[in-house]
Amino acid sequence: MRPPARLSGTACAARRAAGALALLAALGRAGPVLAATLVIHVQTPDGHALSGAVVTARPLDGQGKRPAPAHAVMDQVNRAFAPDLLVVPVGSTVAFPNSDSVSHQIYSFSAAKRFQLPLYHGKPYPPVQFDQTGVITLGCNIHDEMLAYLLVTDAPYFGRTDAQGAWSADVLRGRYQVAIWHPRLRESAADLERELTVGDADRADLTLHLLKSLQPAPIADRPHSWDY
Amino acid sequence: MPSLPHLQRPRRQRCRSAATLTLLALVATGRAADWQMGLDTRLVTSDAGRSFMDGGLGTTRFDRNDSGVQLGRARLALSAPLGELWSVHLDASVWDDKDRSPVGVTEAYLQFRPYPRAGYRLRVKAGAFYAPISLENRAAGWESPYTLSYSAINTWLAVEVRTIGLEAQLDWLGTRTGHDFDLGLTAGAFRWNEGAGVVLASNGFMLHDRQTPVFARVGPPGGAEPFQQFDRRTGVYAGVEGRYLDRVVLRVLRYDNRADPTQIDTVSGAIAWATRFNSAGLRVESSTGWTGILQWLDGETIIAPPGVQLVWPFRAQFALLSKRFGRQTLSARYDRFKVDSSVDGSYQSGHAWTAAWLFDADAHWRVALEWLRVRSNSYYRAELGGPPVATETQLQLAVRYAFGSGVR
Repeated sequence: MRPPARLSGTACAARRAAGALALLAALGRAGPVLAATLVIHVQTPDGHALSGAVVTARPLDGQGKRPAPAHAVMDQVNRAFAPDLLVVPVGSTVAFPNSDSVSHQIYSFSAAKRFQLPLYHGKPYPPVQFDQTGVITLGCNIHDEMLAYLLVTDAPYFGRTDAQGAWSADVLRGRYQVAIWHPRLRESAADLERELTVGDADRADLTLHLLKSLQPAPIADRPHSWDY
Repeated sequence: MPSLPHLQRPRRQRCRSAATLTLLALVATGRAADWQMGLDTRLVTSDAGRSFMDGGLGTTRFDRNDSGVQLGRARLALSAPLGELWSVHLDASVWDDKDRSPVGVTEAYLQFRPYPRAGYRLRVKAGAFYAPISLENRAAGWESPYTLSYSAINTWLAVEVRTIGLEAQLDWLGTRTGHDFDLGLTAGAFRWNEGAGVVLASNGFMLHDRQTPVFARVGPPGGAEPFQQFDRRTGVYAGVEGRYLDRVVLRVLRYDNRADPTQIDTVSGAIAWATRFNSAGLRVESSTGWTGILQWLDGETIIAPPGVQLVWPFRAQFALLSKRFGRQTLSARYDRFKVDSSVDGSYQSGHAWTAAWLFDADAHWRVALEWLRVRSNSYYRAELGGPPVATETQLQLAVRYAFGSGVR
């Protein structure tokens, strides 16, 4: 029965293609919702590119959808979270395996999600679900120096700036609220929010300058056995 | 001055029962215990006067008769969870064969660690452990990652001052809630430290790394016993700690063992030493590998047997500067110290320079070279018929091998 199945599949694909073409034609008539590239540059107060900053772009005109929840993993390796920052859509689940030989005891007292995972090795616990937007600071109750962040967002477009301090995404045309965040930010993230309209051009650029310099990065090469 | 009345018979039972209890607890939870062992051997050359462990007034650990190969420390440390929020910790060491028992416990305690809530973290310890004073002894086993020999201040703490009791520490975790600062409050209540001060009054300050095991003796039979209790008074300390990110730590602590200096143990003849001090310290670290530490100590110790009151005010300071180059650490430290006496005026005073190179070859092996020179003026040396002023130099090459569940 394979040929009929293939035939049926082909017919289905053809119908989908026709539908998509019709939708594109409709969109073409509607005009403003075609995709364009949104490019956000983040700079420190002295004008240097800031890499690793979280950028979110939230549509103000109802264009775009809420991002689908994802499944992410934040491991614990060599007494550190890996990665030490994750950005996930609201409703996502995050697994916190412990790949170290020592036990960890993960907690958060952040308002967006309070939880704790009692002492463990390996992967004894199911992933934790994050249903509220916000920044969640994670720590280990055994190793005080361990620190990580989860940023839970409802923005359909999000990511982190690259080494050149830039982040880009193909977005539907319309108005956006662009926000940035960084774990070592010294100013209110709300002060750094901007509105931006992605108009007829193929590309819209926005450069955001921090007003205050970041906190210094944690000292990297301090042995774990030392007092924090 | 008469020789100091600090003779007392050993309190072996207490020491043994504490160690046994801890070991039992560890065995009960052995499945999940983290352990670490280390062997630190030294090649030493020294021109110092007779070591305090041999009853002398030398200011360094090894004296001119100790040149050659020596045991630095053989160490076993165990940590094990007891249920969800409690854990037990034990640190046992062999330093030399000069103690009553070849193995001594330097720290053994239970810790209660509830999860931080609303930005606050509480820690409670019960047992025997170091009060949070030193900013230098931050490595495992209360060792210094900068030098082999501790500063004069922290050597004194290693020899005579230990909390055998309870301590609570409450931290406000500002850096976890978007601020640049953390703040902490510490309070401790303890007993069995009525002997704190006896070594300071009989030897003065020293610079070495020989920690006195809990309930052990300092020096040969008849030597000082800092960990005693017979006046039924509880000593206290309280401290404040401020941190700026992970760069700066400022600590201030007031300690008072509240001993009754008129008390004499009728069995052993030991006297209670009323010792109180203020301490302060500042540690600054940079992302480029620099560390600077300043510590300051100022206090007094008092005994008042019938008809006499003797007071030894003491103070010490040090400044340490250290730079890490990858796996190597270069450090220099300057110490100043002074013990006065209400009877004799200046009792001991001096200063010391320490220079050290430490090389962490990998997680297991460490090589260290340290040069230490102490110049001191001691009333006691003159009393014993020698020149009061001595300049003592000790050079040590140390090789340490460590292994265990957490070492890799």
